[in-house]
Amino acid sequence: MKLALERYANLNSPIHRWEPTSKFTALLALIFAFAFVQKLALLPPMVLVTILLYTLAKLPLSFLLSRLRYPGLFLTAAVIFLPFVAGETAIISWGIFTIKEEGCQAALLIVTRACCILTVSLVLFGTAPILSNIKAMRSLHIPDIIIDMTLLTYRYLEELGAMLKTMEQSMKLRGFNSGKLTPDYLRKIAHLSGTLFVRSYERSQRIYQAMILRGYGYATSPNYSKKTPIQLDCNSGILAATTLLVAIFFIVASLS
Amino acid sequence: MTVLEARPTFKPVQEREVLKIANLSFRYGVGEIILQKLNCQILQGEKIGLIGANGAGKTTLFFLMSGILAPESGEISLLGKRVQTGEFRPEIGLVFQNPEDQLFCGTVRDDVAFGPENMGLTQEEVGRRVEEALALTGTLHLRDRVPHHLSGGEKCMVAIASILAMRPQLILYDEPTANLDLRARRRLIQFLQSSIETIILSSHDLESILEVCDRVLLLRRGQIIADGKPREVMGDRELMEANSLEVPHSLL
Repeated sequence: MKLALERYANLNSPIHRWEPTSKFTALLALIFAFAFVQKLALLPPMVLVTILLYTLAKLPLSFLLSRLRYPGLFLTAAVIFLPFVAGETAIISWGIFTIKEEGCQAALLIVTRACCILTVSLVLFGTAPILSNIKAMRSLHIPDIIIDMTLLTYRYLEELGAMLKTMEQSMKLRGFNSGKLTPDYLRKIAHLSGTLFVRSYERSQRIYQAMILRGYGYATSPNYSKKTPIQLDCNSGILAATTLLVAIFFIVASLS
Repeated sequence: MTVLEARPTFKPVQEREVLKIANLSFRYGVGEIILQKLNCQILQGEKIGLIGANGAGKTTLFFLMSGILAPESGEISLLGKRVQTGEFRPEIGLVFQNPEDQLFCGTVRDDVAFGPENMGLTQEEVGRRVEEALALTGTLHLRDRVPHHLSGGEKCMVAIASILAMRPQLILYDEPTANLDLRARRRLIQFLQSSIETIILSSHDLESILEVCDRVLLLRRGQIIADGKPREVMGDRELMEANSLEVPHSLL
């Protein structure tokens, strides 16, 4: 079994060959720089940089689309009303509905920025095994508690997903029809979610007990927080420097 | 075999005492009492089977022994020192029923190293213990694998290795043969037979207890009601049936 995010972690591309620590630093800087963008004029270069990175990573488009599906739903829910409620300059009026320019611009900015950030995150986490990224985080002296939480979240989210799938299959096998949005359907889905939460809580409690029994939190300076030295090759150096320069450009352009 | 009725009966101390439980009582919150005035003594090198119907208190007893839960009253001493709730005691190891609860690191090696590292050992010593524990459990070839990609039997052996690496003197196995296929179960039984640590094995797989253990404790409603040789305790049809258990086939 291969985890979904790691499906293309072993391809051969310049991004895959990029040394993990410098990749983590540079792409994280780029993500933060994208988050700073407030000007519409910066959107085309931002999209261009993202496309370039994704193309360099040689990741399939289907992979990106499948990963964007659920964040896309949240994003749509967040911005769908913006053109109607934000701003004052009307573009189109249709009865009581008025589409406003500022709202459209805000929606465009939010959607583009979020898509670019998610795509760069996918390039970051989809082009190396999760363990390489964890080691990179350790090398960067990120606190152990954050790294442990990242690892555990990643580890058990996958398992919760598998648990949910099994429970859904079991419901379907007993004639549960997921197609109709009826009160009974919603009630059963609520039960399913509740059960999943309870199970995940119990599981997390047992994991924590198992960790405590093996001394978690006792060692003042545990060896597992050892840092791996960074070995930067030419390809990684060029990529890191270019990405950092691009990130600085976006921050400066956003602030000016 | 001794059939006890809530009476504390200790064997004479001839060997080193690993664990002593005196008048142990426990309940979850204000609920029904789970263990009541339980007394027991475990000697070094003993392989003990803990049997009883569902809800008899086996897992709760393990949690109390290892200091996860605090007793309502009574005392548990491990190697002469009182077990304090939440205290890290590498002398005792608990292998959880579901290895998924135990394995959380990115690689098998990291998972097995987790305990020794928390003990503050040097990197060399940690490495030595990891190799030793993996070799003992026959999982050396899995050291760079991701734990949750392993099969059920492999996960079980890695979970055991993660405990062995701390070199505990007493290991508690909670239903280790549950969910194992026949081959993995056989391998586990052979491993437990050759184990040199003091072990307490809780299981509904009575045949495995018969093969591994030299003493059996029968738990009912929070009390040890029988303590003796596996063949004697588990061969007593009346006693077994009264406790919702069956005499193992090999004793019929």
